[in-house]
Amino acid sequence: MAEMNLRARLAAALCAVALWQGAAAQDLTRSAPPQQTGIAITNARIHTMAGRVIERGHVMFQDGVITAVEAGDPPSRYAGVRIDAQGSHIYPGMIAASTRLGLIEISAVRATRDFAETGDIAPEVRAWVSVNPDSVMFPVTRSNGVLIAGSFPAGGLIQGQASILRMDGWTTEDMTIEPSMGLVISWPQMRPVDAWWMDQRADEQRRRRDERLRTLNNFFDEAAAYDALRREDSGHPVDVSLEAMRRFLPTADDQLPVIVRCADVDQINAAVAWAAERDLRLIILGGRDAPLAADLLKEHDVPVIITGTYAFPKRDDSPYDDAFTLPLRLEEAGVRWCLAPKGGNEASDVRNLPYEAALAAAHGLDPEIAMKGVTIYAAEIMGIADRYGTIEPGKSATLIITDGNPLEMMTNVELAFIDGRTIDLHNKQRELRDKYREKYRQLGIIED
Amino acid sequence: MKLARTIRSGTALLACALASLAMGAQARPTANSPLASPPDGMTRQVAPRAALVGATVHVRPGEQMEDAVVLIEHGEIRRVVPRAEYDRMARPGGTIEVDYTGRHIYAGFIEAYLPVRAPGVDSSAVGAHWNEGVTPHRRALDGSAPNARDRDNLRKMGFTAAHLVPDQGVFRGRTALISLADPRSDSSHEPPAVYRDGFADAVAFERNTRRGGYPSSHMGAVALIRQVLADADWQRRTRQTGDFTGGPDAIDELADANRPLFFDIEREMTTLHAADIASEFKRNAIIVGNGMEFKWLEAIAAENLPVIVPLRFPRAPDVSGFGEADSTDLERLMEWEQAPTNPRRLAEAGVKTAITSAKRIRGAGNLHNDLRSAVRHGLSADDALAMLTTNPAEILGAADRLGSVERGRRANLVVTDRPLFVGPSRILDVWTEGERHVIATDDVGAMAGVYEVNFRGEPRGTLTITRRPRVTLEDGDVKTRAEKVSIDGDRLSYTVKEHDGSVAIATAQRRGTTLHGTLMIPDGRTFSWTAVRVGDAPDDERDREERGPGEIPDLKGYPFGPYAVEEKPQQRRAIFTNATIWTASEAGTIENGVLAIDGGKIAFVGTRSAFNRSAASRWNNAERFDLEGRHIAPGFVDAHSHTGTFALGVNEGTQAVTSEVRIADAVDSSHINWYRQLAGGVTTVNTLHGSANPIGGQSLTQKVRWGSRHPRDMHMDGATPGIKFALGENVKQSNWGDTATTRYPQTRMGVETIMRDRFHAAQRYEEERRRGGRRNLELEALAEVLRGDRLIHCHSYRQDEILMLCLLAKEFGITIGTFQHGLEVYKVAEAVREAAIGASIFSDWWNFKVEVWDAIPYAGPLQHEVGVNTSFNSDSDELARRMHAEGAKAVKYSGGRVSPEEAIKFVTINAAVQLGIGDRVGSLEAGKDADFVIWSGSPLSTLSRAESTWIDGAEYFSLEMDREHRKRIASERRRLIQKILAGPPSEREEKKDEEQEKKEEAETPDPDRSLRARMLAQERALVRERMLEALNANRDPTLDSCGVCGCSEFHFIKQTFGN
Repeated sequence: MAEMNLRARLAAALCAVALWQGAAAQDLTRSAPPQQTGIAITNARIHTMAGRVIERGHVMFQDGVITAVEAGDPPSRYAGVRIDAQGSHIYPGMIAASTRLGLIEISAVRATRDFAETGDIAPEVRAWVSVNPDSVMFPVTRSNGVLIAGSFPAGGLIQGQASILRMDGWTTEDMTIEPSMGLVISWPQMRPVDAWWMDQRADEQRRRRDERLRTLNNFFDEAAAYDALRREDSGHPVDVSLEAMRRFLPTADDQLPVIVRCADVDQINAAVAWAAERDLRLIILGGRDAPLAADLLKEHDVPVIITGTYAFPKRDDSPYDDAFTLPLRLEEAGVRWCLAPKGGNEASDVRNLPYEAALAAAHGLDPEIAMKGVTIYAAEIMGIADRYGTIEPGKSATLIITDGNPLEMMTNVELAFIDGRTIDLHNKQRELRDKYREKYRQLGIIED
Repeated sequence: MKLARTIRSGTALLACALASLAMGAQARPTANSPLASPPDGMTRQVAPRAALVGATVHVRPGEQMEDAVVLIEHGEIRRVVPRAEYDRMARPGGTIEVDYTGRHIYAGFIEAYLPVRAPGVDSSAVGAHWNEGVTPHRRALDGSAPNARDRDNLRKMGFTAAHLVPDQGVFRGRTALISLADPRSDSSHEPPAVYRDGFADAVAFERNTRRGGYPSSHMGAVALIRQVLADADWQRRTRQTGDFTGGPDAIDELADANRPLFFDIEREMTTLHAADIASEFKRNAIIVGNGMEFKWLEAIAAENLPVIVPLRFPRAPDVSGFGEADSTDLERLMEWEQAPTNPRRLAEAGVKTAITSAKRIRGAGNLHNDLRSAVRHGLSADDALAMLTTNPAEILGAADRLGSVERGRRANLVVTDRPLFVGPSRILDVWTEGERHVIATDDVGAMAGVYEVNFRGEPRGTLTITRRPRVTLEDGDVKTRAEKVSIDGDRLSYTVKEHDGSVAIATAQRRGTTLHGTLMIPDGRTFSWTAVRVGDAPDDERDREERGPGEIPDLKGYPFGPYAVEEKPQQRRAIFTNATIWTASEAGTIENGVLAIDGGKIAFVGTRSAFNRSAASRWNNAERFDLEGRHIAPGFVDAHSHTGTFALGVNEGTQAVTSEVRIADAVDSSHINWYRQLAGGVTTVNTLHGSANPIGGQSLTQKVRWGSRHPRDMHMDGATPGIKFALGENVKQSNWGDTATTRYPQTRMGVETIMRDRFHAAQRYEEERRRGGRRNLELEALAEVLRGDRLIHCHSYRQDEILMLCLLAKEFGITIGTFQHGLEVYKVAEAVREAAIGASIFSDWWNFKVEVWDAIPYAGPLQHEVGVNTSFNSDSDELARRMHAEGAKAVKYSGGRVSPEEAIKFVTINAAVQLGIGDRVGSLEAGKDADFVIWSGSPLSTLSRAESTWIDGAEYFSLEMDREHRKRIASERRRLIQKILAGPPSEREEKKDEEQEKKEEAETPDPDRSLRARMLAQERALVRERMLEALNANRDPTLDSCGVCGCSEFHFIKQTFGN
């Protein structure tokens, strides 16, 4: 049981008793204190995701920041804690670029759904504000090595701002890496849908599309006008919605992207043209047909957040592995991409992100690239690659130690660090397992 | 009755007298019919006879007489004779002679399916059936249809008789075959003739759209039909024996087993269900289909039932843009190309086929365009005619009176200007019961020709009038094309442009072969002219005839669509060497192993050395596959699947107990997701009813035999039958919205008691059956459960409800098959291991509703350790494609307690054991079915992929076969898209009109469309909304469909619309 051994070694090293008490229920898993002492993880195979694999090396970090990533052992004079990770692997913590984490607990219970604000236009709402730090989903997600996630609102046309979260913290502020990752927009269907369940006629659908596009454009025009007004006159009354828009306009000092949900080639083409015309930074979210628009995406340097490989092929006659090969096809076309978990209402499956990447690898993508798709590629698109996504000196010590390739189902995460903090990998599910193991021990059915 | 005035031949007199006598015996009410109304004003005496002279008479398909005469008397055809004979015959008085020289006469068409609204029967009336859809005692004739306008419209298409079929409901009532004549305007004032009343019992798999109305699913409709037919038979028998003494009731109407069942089919595959029902209850059946029969041609033809088909030719899909083209399914392109071949293919397959004008996509007026299209697509003109005349006459049991132009048949005729079906032709007259209806006058035809012009006494060249019509003047070298040509009755007019741009107007009146004309030149002066017809004009109408469809490829293989399999995969005799073999048995995993298969079974599994020692020599002539280190594992057994059931409804979620329904009646073996799962290594599935009620429908164990000709080909014969039970939130309707609060049970307490109640009922039922009680399909299935012949597969989540069922099963002495999902089995594993064969669970789904709050991925390994046989299932068409990774979760979450050798069993043998087929599939052992998968690496590795999937020793999938499919698909897509883009403009123009038509459709309710709308039951309506919601959120709507997760169907409805 490598997991226990390594954790025991760490416990001994850190004397961090709190780690071992275990959590009695979901909200009782402890958040970790800031890194207090330097840590060196030694004797590990290091997958930096920055172009090299160190067969046997060490990673040192201090105050949450990586100070060294090198082959061999740390200097003998090293004053920090050494953790011998022989036989283990070190990877950057995985990043799920788009999820609903924190905004939903039990999807069937309305009271726990906080992801969709009413109305078509809600640029002012920000995901991080309503993240419940005690969601049972965070400890479960991080225990499989997914340490960072984009939390995305949904709903109408302009859905709000996505936030970037670390999977640990006492408060929603603690958990927030970036309060705004971008403005989430749902692009209208460009072509009428012809299916048994579509009850609108084609011309009605076209009219509705045009209305939505007009709404979108009008709102961006208004935002630009408002922005100019506010620049001239800072005393102009604040419009909360339009004020929120200013960060995404080309006039902003540090312009943030618009993240457009779309799958179809006509949607992608329209969104790219729209963003280019308005000088907006664009990210495509979904992007099923992105390979069909590859040249355009490259020309405008528009990246794609793929929402999962666990998806059906586009058409009945499409290759059965259509969705599995989307990352490969974008990689080969030279379009920037990363892989997020499959879309939908749930946040409970985010832990399976590496296996969606593995499916791409099983169907032709280099496994190393697949792993990048859930680490550095994601960090780059999310705008946090200066701090996260690789194991390099100067970057945050947000990493996992595993007993194998994280893409393999049977691999387990032994240790995880977020910004140098030692993360409790216990969770409600493990607690339930332990509780019922106890039951069967009492019944004399099992022994340990 | 008046006799002929002059008699030239005694024989003729005799024949005439005999015919008259015979007619008197069998004809409709005569002038003194008690049904006739009193005369209104003057009493008119209409000529009782007609002679239609000079036409080519198409006596019946394939038989025609040139220049013949049809003699009609009192609405009946007396004789059809050559003109020469007619000329020699006596002309009886009272004969109207109609000159049809050059015309064509056909038998009147028979509309074999005319849906009509029959008055409903109050479901609270005495003798009514409990189910409002069971109204076999309604009569088509009680309705007011067809009214004068309907009759007129049908006659315009050539129909002279119609088979009225009541619409709405499951047992819809009695059909009737009637004449499309108008009430007689002569002295008799008779109503139109009824040829046959109560010919057939109309039946349809119609779903009840009222909320909670039974049946809400197709399989529910099948069950209801079967139950009612069983009841009707039982009631007839017991009435005869005197054991049943109740008063007359609705069911009695079905006692006549000689009356055919007339099935109205919405989806082509369900034709096969209708055939099954007919044969189960020994009834004749007639199918009115949907025009897509070619998709299941082999299976449908094998049923040997008459089929009435609409000409349902889809418009060409819009591929005019890249996005449009790229998102169009190949199957839709193929459908477009192939649908017009449907009548031809049915004829070739020997199916007795009739054509109906109902259920069409385009307006009814285009029937003849579509008929010609069918003929251009290979249907012979004779077959086309048969499908409108002799075939429907035979199908409807009226061939002695209808369908041909022969002595003794009713005088129902169609007169056309040219031969039907093969080129442009027009229906001019239609005769019903001896009465003439003028449909169109052939003004242009009468006028067309080449005329010699005489202007002011001088010959002035020729005037050519064509059918289009075009008028050309030729005088010497000068050739002038006239403009603004109009032919109205016998009047011709046109204009001629002068050199200076001024215009001359010419008009003429035709009298016989002469035109008497006037010409007005631009200065206002007028001149007379004449022209005499000297010959025929060239036929320029034929030129306009649409181009042929080009070459239509044959339909090769099944299922219809992109991944059709041409040849049924053959069982092979083969050995596979140099493989790592995961046996999922006590033999564990064998390195450098050999697998040998023969006759669909595994003949040998073991190490290379063992093989060499014992068996090698016997395999010298077998196929050999060197797997070069690849892995072989058993095909996956998925104990919880809903694949292929979505379209027809996976839940009969209306009543709390629906054990009478069978999921087998919902499975579509042609669904593409079967292929995709095969590509992921799934070979056996347990197809389950949904979880909307405590006792659901009967389940079905299938093998994924892609390419099946009939859905039945996928059934795994001899598998232990099963039934779906369900507990918890779904069955107590927790997530159905706030209005669903009245169905029992609403609590987990009530779930237990309703099950107990039905078990008691099933015990009593067995007793009553022994004493001759009636068959009850619901209790029959539950009695099988009590006898141990049918396994319960119970959707469940919380430990209390799981324990409840364990205790209840013990009370009734039942062993449970499986707890499905059973996400808290891990909390009561010690009870489950005693009460059930096993538990088939989600590996790691959790937290999407309250009852899965405590689901944990450690459950599988933990309960396995306690001794519960555990499998992981998909419950999802999407997940089912990657079950190898599911198996690996048993290792991952076991803390080292579950080995890979053990974990593979979670997705193979354990599930097989749970389904009672552990002795046949699920592991690789000699003697078992050769169902296995060749993997690129370990079958538990997320980095592996299935390379080849075998069932019963035959290869059903391989990457190589898949590559061939892809190649063919790509070229077919190219070909069909090109064909549409380069196609005749008519197709493209139609597309443009489509929007307009849709608008019109929306404004004028089309009965067919509203019929379909009714077929969308509540359940589907909610799914539709869900799809739209997903679409608007830019999610793939199909990913959220219940094909993905049938059991949470109501859960996801709630997600979107709840509260």
